[in-house]
Amino acid sequence: MSLSSPFFHQALSTSKVMLIVCIALLPGIIVQSYFFSYGVLINVFFCSLFAIIAEYFVLYLRKRKPWKIIKDNSALVTGILMGIAIPPTLPLWMSFIGVCFAIIVAKQLYGGLGFNPFNPAMVGYVLLLISFPVEMTSWLPATTITPNVPDFSDSLNLILFSQTSNGDDVEFFRQLADGYTMATPLDFTKTQFTLGLMTSEILTNETLLKSHHAWHLVNLAFLVGGLILLFLKIIRWHIPVAFLSGIILTSYLLYYYDPNLFMPTSFHLTTGATMLGAFFIATDPISASTTPKGRLIYGFLIGFLIVLIRAFGGYPEAVGFAVLLLNLASPTIDHYTKPTIYGHNLEEHANE
Amino acid sequence: MTTIEYNHIVKKAQGRFNGGIHPTECKTLSNQQAIQSLPLPNFLILPVQQNIGQPGEIICQVGDEVSQGQLLVDNTEVFGANIHAPLAGKIIAIDQYPTNHPSGLPQTCLKIKTAKQQVSTELFSPINWQQVEPQQLLERIKLAGIVGLGGAAFPTHVKLAAQPINTLIVNAMECEPYITCDDRLLQEQSQQVIQGALISAKIVNAKEIIFATEDNKPDAIKQLSQCIKQIKSEVTIKIIVAPTKYPSGGEKQTIELVTGKQLPKGKLPASMGLLVQNVATLFAVYQAVNKGMPLTSRLVTLTGNQIKTPGNYWIPFGTTIESIMQHFDISDFTNQPVVMGGPLMGQPIFNYQAPVTKATNCLIFNIAATDEKMWLTQSTQHQPCIRCGECDKACPVDLLPQQLFWFSQSDQWDNLENQGLFDCIECGACAYVCPSEIPLVHYYRYGKSSIKTIQRNHEKSEKAKKRFEFREMRLARAKEERALKHKKAAEARKKAAQDKKADPTGKQTAINEALARVKAKKSAQNSTNPQPKE
Ligand code: SF4
Ligand code: SF4
Repeated sequence: MSLSSPFFHQALSTSKVMLIVCIALLPGIIVQSYFFSYGVLINVFFCSLFAIIAEYFVLYLRKRKPWKIIKDNSALVTGILMGIAIPPTLPLWMSFIGVCFAIIVAKQLYGGLGFNPFNPAMVGYVLLLISFPVEMTSWLPATTITPNVPDFSDSLNLILFSQTSNGDDVEFFRQLADGYTMATPLDFTKTQFTLGLMTSEILTNETLLKSHHAWHLVNLAFLVGGLILLFLKIIRWHIPVAFLSGIILTSYLLYYYDPNLFMPTSFHLTTGATMLGAFFIATDPISASTTPKGRLIYGFLIGFLIVLIRAFGGYPEAVGFAVLLLNLASPTIDHYTKPTIYGHNLEEHANE
Repeated sequence: MTTIEYNHIVKKAQGRFNGGIHPTECKTLSNQQAIQSLPLPNFLILPVQQNIGQPGEIICQVGDEVSQGQLLVDNTEVFGANIHAPLAGKIIAIDQYPTNHPSGLPQTCLKIKTAKQQVSTELFSPINWQQVEPQQLLERIKLAGIVGLGGAAFPTHVKLAAQPINTLIVNAMECEPYITCDDRLLQEQSQQVIQGALISAKIVNAKEIIFATEDNKPDAIKQLSQCIKQIKSEVTIKIIVAPTKYPSGGEKQTIELVTGKQLPKGKLPASMGLLVQNVATLFAVYQAVNKGMPLTSRLVTLTGNQIKTPGNYWIPFGTTIESIMQHFDISDFTNQPVVMGGPLMGQPIFNYQAPVTKATNCLIFNIAATDEKMWLTQSTQHQPCIRCGECDKACPVDLLPQQLFWFSQSDQWDNLENQGLFDCIECGACAYVCPSEIPLVHYYRYGKSSIKTIQRNHEKSEKAKKRFEFREMRLARAKEERALKHKKAAEARKKAAQDKKADPTGKQTAINEALARVKAKKSAQNSTNPQPKE
């Protein structure tokens, strides 16, 4: 390609953008591994590794220069996101399948970075969720409420061999002192509702409150990372703001409609992958809507769907599904939300 | 540093435009020194066409001795601009030479060996513009070969023929980094530029002159406002100062900044009663009218890290880049492009034989320090678009550059047009901010030229198709008519034979034939289609 204007360029590169995203994920990762053991770190490590290997492999087959392209760090982001999203004890071979599917099918088969219509990490996540629903919903209780906290080698063994050197399996670590098995707050409330309990009763449950506290902090940490991204202008405000407004408005309306059947807004905002989704997943620009207005609609509808799926759907966590559905809709959203080009609306008025 | 004083003459811009960028300005490199001249070049390579529009007629020959300011190319076309001898000398060749023409093809140029002794002769007599008719002023501007010196090179007399104009906007934004020639011209020659503006205002009958500039030129603003205070004229003169943001100097953006309104799509500024002129152009108008001097040289910013004394220089048209480089002793500048114009919209020139023309406002001689991304002189493989939207935030005309890129990459011409490709002003703001370093503007130029080619071919084939269809139709009709004629003739023969039997004397036949003739004549008169000729 011949040289042409402009000759000026500002310094931030795509590789750097991706790297900063990875760094901004750190507070969340650290808090999450504090509450859910070393498994989180181990998963993040292996998923990133698999993502890079898978990317290398495909690029090699596609006869591209793998190292040059891997340097864009986008595979790393996908890997880290998946490592965060999966339960901290998920068997390694499952993560392997998920990550490979994300990179090879959801990203590279569509043509690589920039051409994937779906968020690769979420495709991998949803594939695992559908294929291994039991393992994918087996979250550990927060380390603050259980006597059985896995140490590093326990976590590693659980991930590699599904049991520790003492022969304990995942279920052992999921049991609380009173013999109950703990799930995530989302799972827990879901089951409680099916048992006919009311919101006010659920919200007084001691274990839920404690466990929810852990998720509060995890969400807070991801919020901090997200704000860093906003501050550094790596992401734009439209999608996170619209996403959170979608959650707030929808959950508020449902709770207002029947405070006994639905969880309050504060619960939705601080549980599950809400903040991770708002700042790191829905903001993946490639699969999102790309017009300024479209981003608002896109973000809002994701938030809306998340609350609906959490309230009425079969799966307790909804970010993956909601994001993928809106990925599907984003070309249409783009089409109908083109900004008015300079001087264009005037011309129509002039002709009237 | 001078601060800007706002008062009844100097005002803040009321309007604003969306998008825009804030690149490093690099202007202090060249705007601190007074305007200078270079020593005479040994020869000139003078392109015979330096305007947008039609070429003119060369009225000199190889071997002619020419004096400074003598008319060399007479252009009587509507969109034409004359070319005069920038310096006295001898024409030693008329041939094809490399120039800065965007096509990259060589252009017809006059090669002039400059004379050692330069005597300046007045070509035209000076005019007291207050006392003559606008038509005479317009005539003078046309004769002097003045074109828009902001870079577009559109003949000024054509622009000044627009009516009715209420406001003359003097575009002194100069928003591109590095370029400072308008800034410097205003600092040193404000009086003359204002005179040029008043002349233009008289021609188009404008009631108001607005100098539109950015707040990074306090010295020029100060000079200008002092001069304006001394002027007595029924035309009101104001300065409107906009915040520094690229590309505020784009005509559409300037209009939005000054008036707060957008120029409706497909309309000329005249539709809003506006005329936009560039500072250097108005100076040339002043020179032509008040001093009787045709346009033969211009102020050019020579800058970049390879020039030891960057600044603004009067340079006669036809001076080659090479001779400028010799003067400044630029030696380790091989295979590097000289950038003609600014770093955002300029043009890379690899052939240093190319001359300075009417459209050259700046030459940048820069060598990028290693791993410095600010200055791209090599095209590298870019990364894919991640649809981050940085570009749509920067676009001053509210396009979606990422979508334009997507569609032009995949040759989807219809979608590309629907996304507003032809509204793109190629300002380069999008490419400047793109983290994947995609040469977006390059893709848009490619898209534009592809679509134009397709349209041309389509028109051609449409025409051919129409011609073909018409011919087919004509042939078919001719055939039909022939068949009809034969049929009639056959019938007539048959009838005649029958009649002969019934009417042996032939009397009845004669009557019938006469009747038939009358009928035929009538039908021939009624028929609007003449007999086809094969
Ligand atoms: S700035 Fe570059 S990478 Fe970002 S959306 Fe625009 S073209 Fe794509
Ligand atoms: S070059 Fe075109 S698309 Fe890019 S910012 Fe300028 S006007 Fe917008």
